Amino acid sequence: MSREPLDPGASDAAAARRCRIGWGLALLVALIVPWLLPDQGYSLRVACLVLLFATLAQAWNIAAGLSGLISLGHAGFFGAGAYVSTLLLIHYGISPWFGMIAALVFGGLLAALLSLPTLRLRGHYFALATLAFGEVMRVIGNSWSDVTGGPVGLSVPFAQPSFGGLQFASLRSYYFLFLIALIITCLVFERIRGGALGLRLRALKNHPDAAASLGVDTTRAKFTVAVISGAITAVVGVLYAQFMFFFDPDTVFSLAGISVRAALIAIIGGMGAVAGPLIGAVLIIPIEELSNMLFSATAAGLSQLVFGALLIAVVIWQPRGLLALFRRLGGRK
Amino acid sequence: MELIQALVNGLLIGGVYAVISIGLTLVFGVMSIINFAQAEFLMLGMFIAFFCWQYLGLDPMIGALVAFVVVFALGMLVERGLIERVIGAPDVAQIFLTVGLLIVLENAALLAFGSDYRSVRVPYQTQAVQFAGLIIGVPYLLAFVVSLVAGVLLWAFMRFTWLGQAMRATAQDSAAALSLGMDVRRIRQIAFGLGVAMTALGGAVILPYFTASPTVGAQFVVLMFTAVVLGGLGNVLGAVIGGLAVGVIQTLSTLVLPIQLQNLVLFIVFILVLALRPEGLLRQK
Repeated sequence: MSREPLDPGASDAAAARRCRIGWGLALLVALIVPWLLPDQGYSLRVACLVLLFATLAQAWNIAAGLSGLISLGHAGFFGAGAYVSTLLLIHYGISPWFGMIAALVFGGLLAALLSLPTLRLRGHYFALATLAFGEVMRVIGNSWSDVTGGPVGLSVPFAQPSFGGLQFASLRSYYFLFLIALIITCLVFERIRGGALGLRLRALKNHPDAAASLGVDTTRAKFTVAVISGAITAVVGVLYAQFMFFFDPDTVFSLAGISVRAALIAIIGGMGAVAGPLIGAVLIIPIEELSNMLFSATAAGLSQLVFGALLIAVVIWQPRGLLALFRRLGGRK
Repeated sequence: MELIQALVNGLLIGGVYAVISIGLTLVFGVMSIINFAQAEFLMLGMFIAFFCWQYLGLDPMIGALVAFVVVFALGMLVERGLIERVIGAPDVAQIFLTVGLLIVLENAALLAFGSDYRSVRVPYQTQAVQFAGLIIGVPYLLAFVVSLVAGVLLWAFMRFTWLGQAMRATAQDSAAALSLGMDVRRIRQIAFGLGVAMTALGGAVILPYFTASPTVGAQFVVLMFTAVVLGGLGNVLGAVIGGLAVGVIQTLSTLVLPIQLQNLVLFIVFILVLALRPEGLLRQK
C-alpha cells in the first residue's frame, strides 16, 4: 500500500484533479483517433466496434456493477432493440432515430417484465433466469418467422446516406455517433453511482439483508437499474443493426457473442467502475478482431477460444479487473 | 393412445436427462457452484463414444464407460486447476469461470473435431419393440436402461460407501466435514469428476439417436438446468424427477406445438419455477 498522506483532503483533491486530467486526455484521444485512421478502413471499423461494445458493456455494468445483478441475458434486450427498429423501418419507413426511442421503451418494458419474476433471486439463480430469458428471445427470433424473418435474419434497407435515416457514407460519422452514445451511457452510470440510488444499491450489494432491514427498498432500487440497463442495451442493438446492415437471431441473441461478451468486457476492465468497460473494450475488441482476421480461415473457433481463456485467466488472477491492477501498480510507485 | 405413447417417449428421454442432470446437481450440492460448462462435458462424452465407435468399433453403450472414465479424470484435473480457485469467491468469479470454461471447451472441440455433425451406425438403430400397443425405439430403450443402471449405482455409491457418505456430509456442511477430519479438498475434486462423468455418460448413450457436434451442448444447457431447478439445486433425487418431468414436458408439448417451440415451453417452466419456487418443487417447508 502507498503511504498515508498527512492531509487526506489535499490528496483527494489531487486525485480528483488527476482523474479529470485522465478523462480529458481519454476524450482528446477519442476525438483525434478517427482523423488518424483512414476513412472506410478496417481499423476505423474496429474503432467503431470498440465504442459500440464499450457502450454495451457499460449498460451491463449499470445493472451488474452497481447492484450485483449478474445478467447472462442482455442479448435479449440487444436483439429486441435491433428487431424493433429494423421492423419499424422496413414496414412503416420509420426513421431509426424514432426506432431508437421505440427500442428504449420496448427494452425497458422487457426488463420490467423480466424483473417481476427474477429480481428477488440472488447470485446464481438470477444468472440462470436471465440466461433462460436470452435463450427464450433467441428461440422466438428463430421461430416467429412471420414477423422476424426467422433464422434467415433481417437486412436493414439501404437508403441515401442521411442523418435523418441514420445511415452514413463515412465511418467517421458512425464513430462519433457511437462515441456520443458511450458518453451518455457513462454519464448515466456516474449519475446513478454518485446519487442516492447508488448509495442504496451499494448497501444492498454489500449487505442485502442489512440494507433491507434498514428500510432500503431493495427491490425497487434493483428494478430501476435493471430497467435502465435493459433500455440502453436495446438502443445499442439499434446502433448495431444500423452499423452492420444485417443480423440474424443467432447473432443478436447470442449468449457468447453478446451477453457474455458484454460481461467479459466489463469484468476484464473492472466491474462497478465507470472506466472498466472502456478499458475492457479497448483491449478485447481489437484482439478479437485481429485473431479473427488472422485465423478465421484456418482455425475457426480460435479467437473464441482465446476469449474464453482470457475470461478464465482474469477471473482467477485479477477478479477485480485490470483497473484494480493499474491502481495497485500506480499506487506503489 | 397418442398421449400414452408421448408419455412413454418422454419418460425414456427423461431417464437420460435425469442422469445428465444428476451430474450437475451433484457438483452444485458438494461445491455450491453452478457449473455453466456442464453441457460441454456431455458433448465430450458424445465425442469420446463416437471415436470409440469409429476407431475401435465399440458400441456407444460400451463407449459410455470409456467416456465416463476419461471425463472423470479430466474433471478431476479441471477441478484442481481451475474450479478450486474460486470456491468461496464472489458469485461473479464463480459464474464467469465456468462460463469461460464453456467457451473454451466448445471452441477447443470446434478446432479439434471440426464443425461436422457426426452420427454412429448401429444394428439396432431403427429397431423397435412393440408392447401393449406402444412402439418403443430400441436406441431409446437402451439409453434409458444404461442411464437407469448408472443412476442406481451412483445412488448406492452415495448411500453405502464411505466416500459417498463423506460427499453428502461435505454437501451438508463442509466446515463440519473438515473439522471431522475429512479431506474436503479431495472430496470436492472427486465429486466434480463424478458429476461431469455422469453427464458425459448421458451424452454417450444418446449417440445412437442424436448427432454429435461441438455445439451440441447448447441444446442441453437450459434443459438440464430446468430439470435441476425443478428438483431443487443440489438434490440428487430431485434431479431424477426433474429429468423425467422435462422429458415428459418436451414430448407432450410437441403434441400441441410446432417442434421449434418445444424448448420455449421448457424455458417458461424454468423461469416460472425459479420465480415461484427457487428452492425446487420438492423441498418441504
